[in-house]
Amino acid sequence: MKFKRSSRVLFVDPSVDTVFSLDKGEKVDLILSPSLYWVKKITIPVKSVREVKKLLPSIFLDSLPEGHYSYSAYKKEDDFIAFAYEDKKILALLAQKGIGLSSIHSIHFAQSEFETLESALEINEMESIYLKDDLLVVVPTVWLKESAPLVLEDKKLSKHTIKLQQFGHIVDNKSFYMIGTILSIFIFILMVEIFLTHSKIDTIESAKDSLFSKYKLQSTMFQNRSTFTKYNNIHTVQTELRAVISYFLSMPLRATQKITLIEYKEKKLIVTISGVIKGQERGIVSKLNAKKVKYKLSFSGQNMKVEVKL
Amino acid sequence: MNRVNPLQIALLLVVVITFLLFKLSSLKEELLEANESYKTSEKLAIDLNSLKSVYASPKKTQKAINRILAQRSLRGANLEIKREKKSIKITTKSIDTAALNSLMGKILNGSYNITLLKIKRLSETKASLVLEIKW
Repeated sequence: MKFKRSSRVLFVDPSVDTVFSLDKGEKVDLILSPSLYWVKKITIPVKSVREVKKLLPSIFLDSLPEGHYSYSAYKKEDDFIAFAYEDKKILALLAQKGIGLSSIHSIHFAQSEFETLESALEINEMESIYLKDDLLVVVPTVWLKESAPLVLEDKKLSKHTIKLQQFGHIVDNKSFYMIGTILSIFIFILMVEIFLTHSKIDTIESAKDSLFSKYKLQSTMFQNRSTFTKYNNIHTVQTELRAVISYFLSMPLRATQKITLIEYKEKKLIVTISGVIKGQERGIVSKLNAKKVKYKLSFSGQNMKVEVKL
Repeated sequence: MNRVNPLQIALLLVVVITFLLFKLSSLKEELLEANESYKTSEKLAIDLNSLKSVYASPKKTQKAINRILAQRSLRGANLEIKREKKSIKITTKSIDTAALNSLMGKILNGSYNITLLKIKRLSETKASLVLEIKW
């Protein structure tokens, strides 16, 4: 039983100007020409590919032209096949060839896909690829005695794939993760702060509720304010009443002058002083003036009536 | 190869941070308001409580007035005392000025809601009095 491959295999070669026309939703597996990467076969005493990958920037350091490179490697028997490639250049070439990122199913190096190649294969009109010391190289076809055409139908692909970093040239993964971590920590701190602020608000609200029971307040603050205003007005008037009475009682009266009536009703205090001749009142009411008490004076014979509205 | 755009992730994080900052800022404002409201309520509660304890405590006020009226200096003062549910009215057609001074000194130095007061001089040593206190 043979399953039909769901994606088409394309050979991506910068020397060919072909623009691929892909159907909507079509997926393609790409094999990158050796012209798109640098490859080295290395033998180093490390066990895992991960460890090798860490060393690759220094291994390729002297052999690469200036650029922003990504690295990849896989193990082959006792050796490692290491790659250096420029994501930006490959992405630009793919865009030029009409291959959108969403259409790509996988990307492979020609090295990993043709490592058992027995004869040369033509990749374009002028060039062919062939294996030399286990490494796939591109040479002019005219140098070769014979070269077979490149056929990719039913090509079985290896598991060695790469993923292109779209923004690797802007920010490397390490920096990106660092920025992401910092932002995430900041988000965490903000969330903790929000939680704590919420708790504080809840605590204050419950403390406010407990004020009502502690001081036996009415159910709404409006009612309480109204009650407060009522009693505060009483307090203000009573304090003023006592103060004004004390001013009268400490007035400098002559022996013939007597307070004959003190009357308080409906916030109005009336004090009558007998034996006051009109014109002599200035000295008597000087204390009221000093205390800025508003009053009304009236005379009935030698009786002076002082009226104070509280 | 649908790789997630790191700039989109960064933008998303920045949007989340902006939202959280906005939320935190409004919560801080809410906290400030809650704090202010609590302080205002607490002050109102304390003030109202003390005012009520002075002007709206019938038992306390009546007890204090009874203590004043029971003093020795007022025994011969012929005071007419009319007690209502919410007030007390003290009247006398003639009271000795010393007794009047003693009574008024205590009333005016205490915190009572005097609603009516009339002191009329009758002679050098006598006066008439009408005094009403409410609670």
